[in-house]
Amino acid sequence: MAAFEPVLLRNRGVEGSTTLKVYESRGGYQAVRKALKQTPDEIVAEVKKANLRGRGGAGFPAGVKWGFLPKDRKKTLLCVNGDESEPPTFCNRVLMEHDPHQLIEGTIIAAYAVQAQTVYIYLRGEFHEQFHIVQKAVDQAYAAGYLGKKIFGSDFSIEMYLHRGAGAYVCGEETGLIESLEGKRGWPRIKPPFPAIEGAFRLPTVVNNVETLSCVPHIIERGADWFTGIGPAHSAGPKLFCISGPVKRPGCYEGAMDITVRELIEREDMGGGMIDGKHVKAVFPGGCSMGILSADELDMKLDFDDPRNFGLLGLGTAAAVVIPHDMDMRVVLRNMARFYGTESCGQCTQCREGTAWMHKIATRIAADAGRPEDLDVLLETARNMGMMPGLSICGLPDGATFPIETTVKKFRSELEEYILAQPKGRAEYLLRVLN
Amino acid sequence: MSWKAIDRNQPVIEKDAAPVLSEAVREKIRSFFPRYETKRAVLLPALHIVQNTLGYISWQAMAEIAEILEIHPADVMNTTSFYTHFWTHPKGEKVVTVCRSISCEAMGGAKMLDTIKKELGIDEHGTTKDGRYSLVTEECLAGCDHAPCLLINEKMHKCVKAEDIPTLLADVDNNKLSMPRSDLFDPPSEKQAASATMQDSVVGTTSDVSEMREAE
Amino acid sequence: MAKIIIDSQEIECRDGVTALQAAIEAGWDVPHYCYHPGLSVVASCRLCLMEMKMPHPQTKEMGWAPKLLPSCQTPAREGMEIRFNTEKVKKNQENCMEFFLLNHPLDCPVCDQAGECHLQDYSYKFGKAESRMVDQKLKNPKKDIGPRTLLYSDRCVMCTRCVRFTQEVSGTHELSIVNRGSRVEIDVFPGLPLDNPLQGNVVDICPVGCLLDKDFLFQRRVWELKRGESVCPGCARGCSISIDHVDEKVYRLKPRFNPKVNDWWMCDEGRFGYEYIHDKKRISSPLVRRGLEQTTPNWEDVPAVLRYRFEQFVKAQGGAKVVAVLSPFMANEEAWLLAKFIRDVAPEASLAIGPVPYEGDDQIFPAKASGDGIKFTILKEKAPNRKGIESLLESLGGSTLTCEQFVEKAGAGEFMAAWVVGGYPKPWVDKDTAKLAGKFDLLVAQDIFENEFTTKADIVLPACAWAEREGSFTNADGLSQPFHWAIVPPDGARRDGQYLFEIAGETGLFSAARVREMMAASVPNLSQVYESQRKPAHAH
Ligand SMILES: Cc1cc2nc3c(=O)[nH]c(=O)nc-3n(C[C@H](O)[C@H](O)[C@H](O)COP(=O)(O)O)c2cc1C
Ligand code: SF4
Ligand code: SF4
Ligand code: SF4
Ligand code: FES
Ligand code: FES
Repeated sequence: MAAFEPVLLRNRGVEGSTTLKVYESRGGYQAVRKALKQTPDEIVAEVKKANLRGRGGAGFPAGVKWGFLPKDRKKTLLCVNGDESEPPTFCNRVLMEHDPHQLIEGTIIAAYAVQAQTVYIYLRGEFHEQFHIVQKAVDQAYAAGYLGKKIFGSDFSIEMYLHRGAGAYVCGEETGLIESLEGKRGWPRIKPPFPAIEGAFRLPTVVNNVETLSCVPHIIERGADWFTGIGPAHSAGPKLFCISGPVKRPGCYEGAMDITVRELIEREDMGGGMIDGKHVKAVFPGGCSMGILSADELDMKLDFDDPRNFGLLGLGTAAAVVIPHDMDMRVVLRNMARFYGTESCGQCTQCREGTAWMHKIATRIAADAGRPEDLDVLLETARNMGMMPGLSICGLPDGATFPIETTVKKFRSELEEYILAQPKGRAEYLLRVLN
Repeated sequence: MSWKAIDRNQPVIEKDAAPVLSEAVREKIRSFFPRYETKRAVLLPALHIVQNTLGYISWQAMAEIAEILEIHPADVMNTTSFYTHFWTHPKGEKVVTVCRSISCEAMGGAKMLDTIKKELGIDEHGTTKDGRYSLVTEECLAGCDHAPCLLINEKMHKCVKAEDIPTLLADVDNNKLSMPRSDLFDPPSEKQAASATMQDSVVGTTSDVSEMREAE
Repeated sequence: MAKIIIDSQEIECRDGVTALQAAIEAGWDVPHYCYHPGLSVVASCRLCLMEMKMPHPQTKEMGWAPKLLPSCQTPAREGMEIRFNTEKVKKNQENCMEFFLLNHPLDCPVCDQAGECHLQDYSYKFGKAESRMVDQKLKNPKKDIGPRTLLYSDRCVMCTRCVRFTQEVSGTHELSIVNRGSRVEIDVFPGLPLDNPLQGNVVDICPVGCLLDKDFLFQRRVWELKRGESVCPGCARGCSISIDHVDEKVYRLKPRFNPKVNDWWMCDEGRFGYEYIHDKKRISSPLVRRGLEQTTPNWEDVPAVLRYRFEQFVKAQGGAKVVAVLSPFMANEEAWLLAKFIRDVAPEASLAIGPVPYEGDDQIFPAKASGDGIKFTILKEKAPNRKGIESLLESLGGSTLTCEQFVEKAGAGEFMAAWVVGGYPKPWVDKDTAKLAGKFDLLVAQDIFENEFTTKADIVLPACAWAEREGSFTNADGLSQPFHWAIVPPDGARRDGQYLFEIAGETGLFSAARVREMMAASVPNLSQVYESQRKPAHAH
């Protein structure tokens, strides 16, 4: 297989790649110059044509989203979603660490396309080094006249601010992010109105992921046709894949969306196979919210559509973690349940109570006090929440449904074995102690 | 069943207490106003600045922030309590934030956490008696390629092995970043305090742009 | 009017309402917590979900959408088809009820809300019998959050109605949400308790027994209470209220929905301003003085005594020396009856309005709102019926006086016979007014508490509190609204309307509606009253 010519990661590993000088010396900030000579509508059309689907998880085409903005709007806001909190995802981090100017350039182009004069880059609170890097890059861009008043000598002005989160997964959800930006608790809003109509400060607002925006300069520079030529038609363009867990080369790799999970784990230029003679028991292939694959499902394609054929929610963030053969599935189950239990924002009944309840059950099972009927309660509870059946405001509980459901379904016999192997009466005993 | 109710009518802030936020800190908070459409939106930056200055966000600090942003202290409490990063009681000098999510767990995160607990003699959310360390766990720190990992204040430590923990914790510089920092959310420096009014000309862009312009 | 189809039944609904509101008004008992028609929609309790017909994304063919939709968030549109009677909808309601009760202490036997708790009612109606949770429950504390209010966190369903009330209606922001996930709680900033003038409403809108009124705590089980429909006499706004009472004792006042006046709300001053009703020092029987002699006449004799006294006086001194002072606490009907009597015995008699108490300024909520942004106003005019009395005087004509004119003329000795009505809940006779009390040859004082007039009067008539009377008040906007008696007057007293009816020469039982018919000819504008429609019992 021919090596993939990196696009988004082309500056990774280059000395001083975070500086304006190096970025420009490698052809940076040309796309934005080109863009400013076009009309905003032409850029929206080009991005639409490229079918750039959102990299933040939902896969919604960016150009289409930009087209939703009301025509007669006065002020528009653009928010860059750098909240990256989905375990085990780190591709936005890599982009910001190695190529902050690519993000800034893409953001300027997007801002020009939607005529947003104010941009907020929302960074999760745990991003410290990344904050300093991006902030430095923004400062450099200001100093160079690429941000601020009348950029590049054009009539377009733009202010770019970094806004730091403070530890809340749900602030990655676009309306949670908007609430957080407004200085409130990150409780996602009901839709409609969608942010494009009424977002932050009640102004039309576009929210895009870091990786989505990082693609934009390349689309403008090389054209939509070049972009759609990469990978399958419905999943066009370069994509970052993360791989972690006990593999030889954990990290972030770029490719077209035509590779399989197995390739991501095993290819020499990607995961490089397992370490220490471990073998794969299971994989969360797209961020944990998408659900789990068993070892015999590794031929799933990492594109926007194939994951559904494996009972998963979607491609998600295309970040895979390998669960090795020697890891207890009860621990995996507990880890998932805990994540959603502690990250639910607490607004919707089903999500607030359901995720907490699942956390309690999973913790108990992992503590050798499970009951056989617990697995069914878990399955049913997991199904009784989420945005897809209409039971909640945001997609967080869908993200809880899938890992819990697929783990229980695909690894039921293992979980049952553990429960049956518990010392007799232990569940009853523990329950009595608990209550 | 207990019928005793917690009394919320009693003030927790002493009357006539001296302000905990200096004028420089207030000015730094206000310098964020031009960035947002509302004053309320400055709440998160304000909380960061105050926590970085005082170490945590006391009731009185909340009330003073509320006053600056012209909102009710209860609204400050509301937002503060939502985010896991904000401490409402004093914390240690260094906060060890251990990742507990799936990649780190798969790579021995639990063992790492146990070792830290043993080494520091504290549990999650605890602070050592000498006030040097506090310990918390967090969900995925987006460093899964270096699992298991942890943060000591701002500094990320990667691929931490349980056996390395004692050396790591003993290192006095384990929280130092080896890169240029931006002081946007830091407590205001002496220089800023002195020229608090000059802030206005700087905001709109970022804190140190003018310095950079001079340097180039 | 829009036509929509609910559970295959076509119904008509008001324009601009949500599907939930339409269904409730048409008689469907759709469970809901977070939705309140007076607050913003958050659609977070996810209890009101429905199925709706929507066009298929590809074929555009109408069919039932696979997703449930919040009925509280979906506007009712002409022709829309929704349903609540399906397994899917019921399953969600059942699940929600199980979720709500996961951490609930199940202490209904000792809960004040029992009987009007929508957690209890809903779980009975929509829930399933038992919880499958075997793990430890979260225990949240009880909090004393204000001078009048307690918060029992572990009963909270996190509908956030109370928080939105303080943000959107009172604008005072005391209540806030703390923490997140299953640990969310409602709280106040310590030392900044919930003490705004409208705070009592949060107890009303809390759908469960989480927010509780200390005043009412453990007083009575709700189902024992009877409910009388009334109008608040606290200020000239005239909020619609209900008087909850049993055994002739008032236990609490609650606002009654009235879109023209108070919407769903009332103020604390009105809400807690009823205690004077049960004051032991009230005047409870009529009294006749002759020199040092005092007698308590039979009620049957009172009309004749009064008529005789006034007729004697008019014969001796002339009708122009007679005055009746009508209190702004009187109902229109009562005032009309008294005026009728006075003008009957002395056609030239003057009619005056009594003093109108004012306190401070009008209070607007939220404080700085204007226009449609104003959600509630408390008026500084602390009497319910100045407008009605003034309007009555105007219609009746003849010699009518403002309060100041009366004080001036009476001070100058122009009147020798007076009928002075008080009925104010607070002392109303100031030093200057007190001096007038000795100026009359014949003085009738109709009042609720002793004062200079009642101690000097030749005849004292007990006035009743509004909760014991019926009639109508005309509020500051000129809207006349009827109120009905809830409890009987103290032993020995009679309703003002009843004895004035007899004094005015009528026979039989007093009824305000009957008096309004009689008034139609002379005061047409006060004979029409407005009564807001009742909300269905399942709307809350
Ligand atoms: C619970 C939840 C968490 C999310 N977290 C993130 C995130 O951390 N980063 C991100 O870019 N998108 C996240 N999203 C997706 C955003 O809501 C939104 O779809 C995305 O920012 C849109 O950008 P895109 O169209 O460029 O992908 C999250 C969604 C949900 C429901
Ligand atoms: S679904 Fe969960 S996380 Fe999303 S808004 Fe509702 S409670 Fe919050
Ligand atoms: S206290 Fe009552 S009104 Fe407030 S959120 Fe809880 S249940 Fe709702
Ligand atoms: S506003 Fe006036 S009428 Fe309404 S409840 Fe208050 S005192 Fe009574
Ligand atoms: S799982 Fe630990 S950093 Fe992602
Ligand atoms: S979601 Fe509709 S009433 Fe709560």
